Amino acid sequence: MKIVVFITQTQDTEARIKVGSSGDSIDAEGMKWIMNPYDEFAVEEAIRTKEAYGGEVVLITAGPQRASQALLQGLAMGADSAVHISDEALGETVDSLVISKLVASELGNVEGVDLIFTGMKIIDEESVQVGIQIAEELGIAHLALVSKVIDVKPDEKKLVCQKEIDGGSVSVEVSLPALITCPDAMNEPRYASVPNIMKAKRKPMKTVSLDDVDFGSLGISRDAVGKSGAKIKTVSLEVPEVQRKLRIIKGSDETTVKGDEIAESARELVKLLRDDAKVI
Amino acid sequence: MSSEIWVVADIKADGQIRKVTFEVLSEARRKLGGSVCAVLLGSGVSDRASELAGYGAEKIYVVDNPNLRDFNPDGYVKALCELIKKHSPAVVLSGNTAFAEDYIPRVASGVGSGLAMDCVDIGMTDDGRLRIKRYSHSSRAISTQEFNGDGSAMIATVRPNSFKEEGSAGAGQVVNEDAGITDADIRIKVLEMKTKESDRPELTEAERVVSGGRGLASEENFNHIYDLADLLGAAAGATRAAVDAGYCPYDMQVGQTGKAVSPVLYVAVAISGSVQHFSGMGSSKVIVSINKDPEAPIFAKSDYGICGDLFQVLPPLTEELKKALSE
Repeated sequence: MKIVVFITQTQDTEARIKVGSSGDSIDAEGMKWIMNPYDEFAVEEAIRTKEAYGGEVVLITAGPQRASQALLQGLAMGADSAVHISDEALGETVDSLVISKLVASELGNVEGVDLIFTGMKIIDEESVQVGIQIAEELGIAHLALVSKVIDVKPDEKKLVCQKEIDGGSVSVEVSLPALITCPDAMNEPRYASVPNIMKAKRKPMKTVSLDDVDFGSLGISRDAVGKSGAKIKTVSLEVPEVQRKLRIIKGSDETTVKGDEIAESARELVKLLRDDAKVI
Repeated sequence: MSSEIWVVADIKADGQIRKVTFEVLSEARRKLGGSVCAVLLGSGVSDRASELAGYGAEKIYVVDNPNLRDFNPDGYVKALCELIKKHSPAVVLSGNTAFAEDYIPRVASGVGSGLAMDCVDIGMTDDGRLRIKRYSHSSRAISTQEFNGDGSAMIATVRPNSFKEEGSAGAGQVVNEDAGITDADIRIKVLEMKTKESDRPELTEAERVVSGGRGLASEENFNHIYDLADLLGAAAGATRAAVDAGYCPYDMQVGQTGKAVSPVLYVAVAISGSVQHFSGMGSSKVIVSINKDPEAPIFAKSDYGICGDLFQVLPPLTEELKKALSE
C-alpha cells in the first residue's frame, strides 16, 4: 500500500491572537505554528493502515519553509518520507483550489498511490475543502468525515468505511485509490518519542520549488499563488471582543449555590431569561 | 456570465427541504439583487419545487435522478457542475450542511471557482462581486472576504440560522434538466445507512439548544439534557468530551469537529467551555451556563448562569421554566 497524508501547518488557535498591522491577517509575531490537529489523526490512521497491511507512508504539504516542522513531526510519528512544496508565498492565504492543484500535480509524480488521508478541517482558516478538492483534481473518490475504517482490501483495491452524515452514519465501499478526511473521533494519535524525533531528521524529505511546477498544465498562473492573485481576498479581519452580560448567580461564598440558594437561583435565572433576555 | 443568483436546496433524509435553504433564498433576495433562482437536486424531489417558489425563486432548475440519493456526493457534483457550465450563474449558494461540506468543494474545483464556506453574512460590492463574512481561528476571528470577479461562478455556503426566512412569491418557473448522470458516475457504494428519527429539532436549525458536557457523567444522566431540551422545544447537543466518553452519539457534537450552531438560546450544562467547543457555538445570541466550578471558562463567555451542581439545579430550574412557559 502506498499511503499519502496531506498535512498543513496552522496557527495554534488556542494561543493569544491579535490582528496584524495590515488589518487583513492575524499578527504572525510570536505566533506558534503547529501541525493541524486534525492532520494528526490522519497521520495516525495512515501509520495504522501501514502497520496492518504493509507499505509506506508519504507526507505532503504546501507551505513556506517553516512548514517543514510539521513534516518532521509526522516523520517522527512514523511516516517514511515527505514532500514539501515550498514557497514563502504559500504562507499567505492561498485559494484552496490552488493548493489542491499543486498537491495533486505533485502526487501525480508519486507512483501507485492507493490511499490519501487528510484532516477534516484546517483550524486556522477553518477550511474543510482542500483535501476534497485534491480528490477532484486527481479524479478519485473521496469519503468525508470517516469515523472508522472498517476494512481495507489491498488485493481487491477496495475500502469499506463508516462515515458521518447529517442525522446519522453510512457504511460505504469505494474502489482505491481514494481520499479520506479524518475527524477526531477516528483514533488517538501517538506521540513521537525522542529517539524517533532524532531519526525523523534523517528520513527523506523532498523539496519542490514553484519554479519546478508547470503552471500551464494546471490551468492557473503562478500569480495565483499568494494574496494578489487569489480568487477570494480577505479585505479585513477582526478579533471581536466577546460582549456577554456575565450575570452568573453564585452562592454566598462565591462558589456553588447551596441549600435555599438553589431554588432561589433557579427562580432568578428564569426571571432573567424572561424579562432581561426575553428568550422564553 | 448571467446575473442569476442560485440557491441550491438542501434536502433532509426524509425528503423535506431544510430551513436554511429558505433563509438563504430570503437573504439573497434582500442583499444580492439579480434574479434569484433555486436548484433542486435529488431523487423524487420534483414536487418540492413550489416550496422554493414560495420564497421568491424566479426559476427552479430541477434534476430528479435516482442516482441522487443517500447523500452520495458523486452524482450531485456532476449535476451541479453540468448546470453551472450550461447556465453560468453569477453566484451559487447553499446551506453549510455536512453534505454541502462533502460535495460543494468538488463542484468548485470542477468549475474552477473560488469557494467561501460557512459564511455568516453575504452581500455584493458595487461592481458585482460577492462579499462575505466568515469565522476563522476557531471562531475567534471574523474576516470579510471578496471574490475577485474573474467571471467564474462565485460559490459560497451559508451557516444555518444566520438569516431570517421570509416568504415571497416568485415566478417559480420549473426548468427540468437532465445532467446525464448514470450509474457509472457513482463511485461510492452505500452498504448501509443509519439515520435516526427524532422529534427534536435538528441542531444546526434549532432556535434553542441545550448541550451537556462530561460533567453529566453517564449516558443515563444525559436524559436530563433531553428532558430540558424537550421542555424548551430545543435541540440536544454535547461536547466532544461527552461524545468521546460514550454518553451520546457523535451527531450531537457541537464544536470545531462537530456542528456549528447559532441559536437564539444556548444552554450549556456542565460544560467547561474549551476553545474548540466555543468554535461551534460562540455566535449564539444568548448563552446560559450551569457549572459547579466557579472558575469554569464558560462563565466568562456567558450571559447568564448558575454556579451550581447540575443535579441540584436542574430540578427546580425545570419547575420554574414550566411555570414561566405556561404563563
